[in-house]
Amino acid sequence: MLNKFINKIAPRSPWLYRLNAGSCNGCDVELATVALIPRYDVERLGCKYCGSPRHADIVLISGPLTSRVRDKVLRVYDEIPHPKVTLACGACPISGGVYRDSYTVNSPIDQYIPIDVVVPGCPPRPHAIIEGVALALEIWRKRLEEGTCSRS
Amino acid sequence: MLPFLKVLVRNLRQGPSTDPFPFAPTYTPARFRGRAELDENQCILCGICRHVCAAGAIQFRAAEDGSGMEFRVWHNSCTYCGLCAHYCPTKAIRMTNDWHLSHKGEDMYSFAETKFVKLGSCAECGATIQPRPAAIVEKLGARYPERFMLCPKCKRETLANHAASRKVIRVEEAR
Repeated sequence: MLNKFINKIAPRSPWLYRLNAGSCNGCDVELATVALIPRYDVERLGCKYCGSPRHADIVLISGPLTSRVRDKVLRVYDEIPHPKVTLACGACPISGGVYRDSYTVNSPIDQYIPIDVVVPGCPPRPHAIIEGVALALEIWRKRLEEGTCSRS
Repeated sequence: MLPFLKVLVRNLRQGPSTDPFPFAPTYTPARFRGRAELDENQCILCGICRHVCAAGAIQFRAAEDGSGMEFRVWHNSCTYCGLCAHYCPTKAIRMTNDWHLSHKGEDMYSFAETKFVKLGSCAECGATIQPRPAAIVEKLGARYPERFMLCPKCKRETLANHAASRKVIRVEEAR
């Protein structure tokens, strides 16, 4: 009963966590812009950036997953509690973008991490990121109702 | 004294500075570079877009029956640099200002613009050549429109015939 009530109100305040998988900083700047600048203000959707992966609900991944950070990214990703929703920000996590075919890059990222929402762009427009977060929220709501885990 | 009053009055007059996007439509600049779009009736399959694409997002795939080529831009690899549109000789590729590109993870590999471009045929022998749409003939083949519609072999023949006939005339003049 209480669990059901919590699952119903939880999607009103998702906590976002930025996971930099070797990004060039372009997407990170846009992700910071989305929350910090009053013009875009993703906090209207109830979102909030958090510093600890253990508090996160929606993971925003940017960057092509370089070999240097791969193990660290996977370790941090495993610390995020279920049900989590992953949002790949920019072209890099999906295809490698301009770093495609480089020997230091392990994209596509979905060989390692299941991706739920994709926001293409190099970097994406802040509005597009907000749109992606809204889509991620819907998925998270569904997952809370069903009680599914993102790896299953 | 009370400097916040000044800020308060200014903000009340200007209204909120937040863009109303997820709840209301927003402003998009007309020249914003978003999703690339191909007009398959303008394409002459020169392949310069694939050549200049830094991210390797553009692919051409030949149809099995040889009737044409499939043009494909994978939006998830595209960096929206617009070089393909810049170098397209016939302006077949255009960067639209559509940025509503966020989608679910299931369709990340099928999220592409796919268009089928039919190959043309030589006006004389009927051999398969690059497509020659009428709009392009006016632009690229304005000097010799009938020669523009030929395959390389027929073109060489007509050029040779042309040159030979001119030479005959000159020889006759010399006599």
